[in-house]
Amino acid sequence: MSADATLAISLDRVGKTYGRVKALSDVSLDVRTGEIFGFLGLNGAGKTTTIRILLDLVRPSAGQAFVFGMNCRTESLGVRARVGYLPGELGVYRDMTGEATLALLARLGDRAVDTGRQRALLDRFELSRSDLGRKLREYSTGMKRKLGLVQAFQSDAPLLILDEPTDGLDPLMQEAVYELLVETRRRGQTVFMSSHVLPEVERVCDRIGLLRRGGLVLVTSTGDVRQLAGRNVRVLFREDVVRPDPATRWPDGCEVVALTARLWSLRIRGPLGPMLTRLASLPVEDLQISEPHLEDVLRRYYADEPGAPERAN
Amino acid sequence: MTRRTLVLAFHSIARIRGVVVGLAVLLFAFQFLLTQVAAYLTRQRAFGELSALVPDFVRSAAGPSALTFMSFTGIVSLGYFHPIVIGALVGLMIAIATEPAAEVETRFVDLTLARPVSRAAVIIRTLIVLSCAGAVIIGSMIVGTWTGLTCCVPSGVERPSFALTLSLAVTLASVTACWAGVALAMAAAARRRVVAGAAAGVTAFGAYLLDYLGRAWEPARPASVASPFHYFEPMALIAGQTLNVRNVAVLIVVGSAATAIAFVVFARRDI
Repeated sequence: MSADATLAISLDRVGKTYGRVKALSDVSLDVRTGEIFGFLGLNGAGKTTTIRILLDLVRPSAGQAFVFGMNCRTESLGVRARVGYLPGELGVYRDMTGEATLALLARLGDRAVDTGRQRALLDRFELSRSDLGRKLREYSTGMKRKLGLVQAFQSDAPLLILDEPTDGLDPLMQEAVYELLVETRRRGQTVFMSSHVLPEVERVCDRIGLLRRGGLVLVTSTGDVRQLAGRNVRVLFREDVVRPDPATRWPDGCEVVALTARLWSLRIRGPLGPMLTRLASLPVEDLQISEPHLEDVLRRYYADEPGAPERAN
Repeated sequence: MTRRTLVLAFHSIARIRGVVVGLAVLLFAFQFLLTQVAAYLTRQRAFGELSALVPDFVRSAAGPSALTFMSFTGIVSLGYFHPIVIGALVGLMIAIATEPAAEVETRFVDLTLARPVSRAAVIIRTLIVLSCAGAVIIGSMIVGTWTGLTCCVPSGVERPSFALTLSLAVTLASVTACWAGVALAMAAAARRRVVAGAAAGVTAFGAYLLDYLGRAWEPARPASVASPFHYFEPMALIAGQTLNVRNVAVLIVVGSAATAIAFVVFARRDI
């Protein structure tokens, strides 16, 4: 495969097996420069394995991976010089201070760390000087996560690879991460983030890829994904209505979720007109239309997988 | 060697400096005190009495080395071949050499290798730390010996030459380097430090016992050549022989081969 330098990430039929276990199978994916790409999947789907292949921490059993046109295997130093990485589990020396950890990691990077930028990141994540002077054994899970985010962003790398970036953060800090991600995109940097928090992905990502049992089953924009899901429509009636015959033909794109004498719950893809025409002769009291959520679509892909998330109401 | 390798090396040295300096001070003091013990025994004219106390069967089993040991030079040189000193040094080398496995286990390596740091740099870093630690500790032993001999030994005593002290230090350093290489090879393949450390430690202890068996029991002698400790012969030096370069070379080659394996294994493995 010829490497395309205009793509931030390109995976070409990447596979990884551990003994007889297939962690990844035939994954092909392009991530464009300047976008925020959400990499979704349940635990064990292969998200972290993919990330580790990009960083050359894990070697693929098949296929090739590229970052900015450079082969992740043969040009890994060049790749890693352009990446800021937040691991899912921050491995640090517990007897080092936060400040010493950041300084050490800054010295190992290819780009000089701008102290002003580092300070701004620390302020954004509310890590004070006294916090940085403490040993990491005294850090809470959330503080470690914030330190991890600072070390990933401090070098201002063109590509940020983030493994579950808001894991362990409180809602305020999650908000700070979302704002930072949006700013990062505005600056032309690319973000490749794994997550299983669907509202978060829906909020910040331009596109998503869904991994299921090591295979990529969906790549789409977050806008398109809503169209895939259809709108949720709830029709409330003033008085009991006769339940339609099961053989009744519903308008195209209409899916019945639940029917009672006073409430119809429907999912409608496409125009609402035909359904409104049908409702015109019925004693409608209220009509509630809600935009679909990412999880409405993804649940279809997760549906028969053990450990799939329950619907959040 | 790159700037990043040195950054990693300084970081690791800073982390273990307390242990290294502590052991160096202890062994300096031990070597210094051994010179004072030897001086005391000389003043008391006790070496002849000590030799007479050795039973005949021990003399015949141990050979001339038993009597060689009971001399001023033998006592002064004790630290360079005492099992506890060897155990401490080899143990420290194993602890340092297993740092790559520890970093894989704690996932600190994810942070370092996510930056433009080559995998070879991780191994080279460990080699630098091993070399520095070994040089400081064995250097402190030499200084301890020489300080004791220079300042506080009665005149008229035949002191061991500096060349002998240096040769003893070289043999000790070569056996230490050999085990450092073996431990590094094990650490390069391991996911947990305790596994690599235990494997290297048990191998070293088994090799020490095998060598001991080979020296004490004729039928085991052919097998004992497989033990690196077979090539560690300080008593021959104390008895007046020159440094056996072949023995030193064997130990260095084993250590180097194991180090080369460490480079290859660490470069190819999944982290």
